[in-house]
Amino acid sequence: MAPAIEIKELTKDFPLGLGKYKLRAVDHLSLRVEQNQVFGLLGPNGSGKSTTMKVILGLLTPTAGECRVYGLPSNKTAARKEVGFLPEAPYFYKYLSGLEMVVLMGKICGLSAARARERAWEVIEWVGLKDAARRRVGTYSKGMLQRIGIAQALVHDPQLIILDEPTAGVDPVGSAEISSLVLKLKEAGKTILLCSHLLAQVEDICDHVAIMNKGRCIRQGPLAEITEGQGDTEIRLDQLPEPEVEALRRWLGERGIDLRQVKRPQLRLDEVFLREIGKADLIYRQGSESVQLGSQVTSDKAGKDSENE
Amino acid sequence: MNSLRIIRLIAGNTFLEAVRQKLFLFLVFIAAAFIVSSFYFRDLDFGFSELKFISDFGFGAIVFFGSILSIAGAAQLFFNEIENRTALTILAKPVRRIEFILGKFTGVWAVVLAFTAMMTLLLMAILWYREGILMGMERFARDFPEGRKVLYGDILWVGFLQWLKFGILISITMIVAGFARTNLFTVVISFFILIICHLQYLARDAWAEIAFWPARMGVAVMGFAFPNFQVFNVGEYVALYEPLPWSVIGSLVGLSAIYIIVYNLLAVVSFRSREI
Amino acid sequence: MNPFWKSLALVLVAAFLVGLLARPVEEPAWQWVREQEPALQLESLEDLLGQGIIVGVMGGFRSIFANLLWIRGSEYWKEQDLPGMQTMIRLVTAIDPRPSFFWMNGARITSLDMPHWRIREQGGRQNVPEVVQERIFEEQNLAGIEILHRAMVYHPNNPQYPLEIGLIKARRMDDLEGALKYYRKASEMPNAPAYAARVYAQLLRRLGRDQEAYEWLAGIYPTLDPDNIYDRAEVMLRRIRELEEDLNIPPEERIPELARDSARK
Repeated sequence: MAPAIEIKELTKDFPLGLGKYKLRAVDHLSLRVEQNQVFGLLGPNGSGKSTTMKVILGLLTPTAGECRVYGLPSNKTAARKEVGFLPEAPYFYKYLSGLEMVVLMGKICGLSAARARERAWEVIEWVGLKDAARRRVGTYSKGMLQRIGIAQALVHDPQLIILDEPTAGVDPVGSAEISSLVLKLKEAGKTILLCSHLLAQVEDICDHVAIMNKGRCIRQGPLAEITEGQGDTEIRLDQLPEPEVEALRRWLGERGIDLRQVKRPQLRLDEVFLREIGKADLIYRQGSESVQLGSQVTSDKAGKDSENE
Repeated sequence: MNSLRIIRLIAGNTFLEAVRQKLFLFLVFIAAAFIVSSFYFRDLDFGFSELKFISDFGFGAIVFFGSILSIAGAAQLFFNEIENRTALTILAKPVRRIEFILGKFTGVWAVVLAFTAMMTLLLMAILWYREGILMGMERFARDFPEGRKVLYGDILWVGFLQWLKFGILISITMIVAGFARTNLFTVVISFFILIICHLQYLARDAWAEIAFWPARMGVAVMGFAFPNFQVFNVGEYVALYEPLPWSVIGSLVGLSAIYIIVYNLLAVVSFRSREI
Repeated sequence: MNPFWKSLALVLVAAFLVGLLARPVEEPAWQWVREQEPALQLESLEDLLGQGIIVGVMGGFRSIFANLLWIRGSEYWKEQDLPGMQTMIRLVTAIDPRPSFFWMNGARITSLDMPHWRIREQGGRQNVPEVVQERIFEEQNLAGIEILHRAMVYHPNNPQYPLEIGLIKARRMDDLEGALKYYRKASEMPNAPAYAARVYAQLLRRLGRDQEAYEWLAGIYPTLDPDNIYDRAEVMLRRIRELEEDLNIPPEERIPELARDSARK
């Protein structure tokens, strides 16, 4: 089975001025996105994410190296047949209604008029914009624009969906809704490539990431491996009374392990907000279905440098 | 077949965008007001030459506002796609750049067709109405010994040939837009080229008389590199007096076809070098 | 090389080549347009540049510019503003010398209307001495003729202008000799109206040159088509018969009447 995206030694230079000087936007990048992954292409602004994404979409030709989408060179039009794309801060055609816009995109992707309409209703309902479908895109809020953007990306039922900064500038509810949509897409068997500079926001939904800086890939792999705290072990328990904590500390001490930190876990502000407005179901964290409440215990596996804490 | 479908979809969407913009409606309104205002002269002049005046005035308005619409329309509809990032959305679909450019061109050309057709029909209606009145006036009866004199069929042809010229102008604007960074730059350069295209016949006539050979070469190259728009000025002497020969219509249709096809391909070349 | 410059170079080379390719296709239309447009026929380079710059800078828009100025001109006409109107006539005919409308109306306003404006300005018909009035009429007639002369440079084959000059000279300046020259010129043009030749003969008669008038008409009459109502062959024959009477030409030497198509059948 061909990987969804396969990039080998990709380099992209942009000429400056009359062509003598060049700006290297991407420098010998190699990465592989397997099918049904949620892959985060992360990094600060100017790190080369957007250039990489444009090469994948066939909008830019690589200076060196190669890029394949489902085994086809990315500069071939056919390679884009299985790709849906949500651009950053999408504006779309303001004079069209959400429905008209999604239908148009469906037709452009080769769907018949009737099929495009049918699919447009399906995806619009799926992204939760059924009530606003006949409103002009120009009147949509930012979160709605992102959702209609996802709808147009999905209208032709692509296997690979590329989302560029999907949560940038979106409020916590909108952001959580988008995260929830991404996870639903994964459940439906799709592959998602997510480009973002908001590392924390996408951390919760990606299973693989590549972190870029100055055109180079500085880390990549499964998210759990990359974010694993070096040397520490974290245990979560139901409400642990103070005497029990002391007993645990002693018990661990006897085994040469230092208990470095005992604290009540902190909620993130976006989580607090979602709870307060009754949308706790949108909260999602990598590796668990919901946040566990209770004490959080961090210990030093080796227990050697506990004195430094 | 699929390419044609995509071009049609992009063209249809471009047309829709254009007619929902104020610029189009504004130009239609102003041009129509101009053509209708030629009635203003009816105290001033007499008989058949008044119809010539109305026709000149009408074609002048069509050429003037049609050129503005072609250049400003093409530039604006192109840069809207770039600036609103809708080009990115479209080109990320299985759409080739050539399909995108041809779709945009066809859409703008269709808008200009709507404009030219409306204005030409309006001009014909005004001429018809005024000619009827003049024919009924005793002192002008001798101007119309055999009934109506205005060659209405030829007026339609002249309108059609102006539309072909606008097609060339739109393609030129698309080439410029492919290279340019801003809408304003595109509009200014395209108007500049429009003036050169009207002037280029001078270069063709003058080059042989220039002694300094680099200047002569430069002038000769200019004579070939820009299309001759003066050749489309058929409206000012025909339609009322003399029928437009088929050879001229054929020659202008052929000329327009060559330029429109080649220039659109060049617009694709210029657009290819552009980063979206 | 930067792809931008590469593409630009390619576009320029291709534009030049397509210009070469299109030239033969364009030729029939271009030849025809040149024949139609007097402004494009000026021979000398100097004229070409002077006129051409105006034509070129305004591109296809000079027609509308000229018309817009003419609208302004009509205001001057209503206000009887002499300098304004003169400037406008000069400007409009310079910008767009093609429509005969501007030339003819410019000349008529100059020779027919402007003398009255000047006389009114100087105190009216009652107060301005007869001699001065005559001089004003003379000057304005010459100014009108001057406009028509300029028109003839652009429209060398249009009989309208020599006819108009002839009319001014004959009717308003009492210069029959001068008028003769222009009626003759007009009647020799390929699309001259039939009356030009008849008026020429009438003028010769008024000058007492009956024999010359007779020979002129005798030379023209056989070229007319008696079935064409515009040729008015019967009117010319009437004039010929009058002259034959006056010149006592024997019946056997008189010009035979042309047979009509209907009569021939």
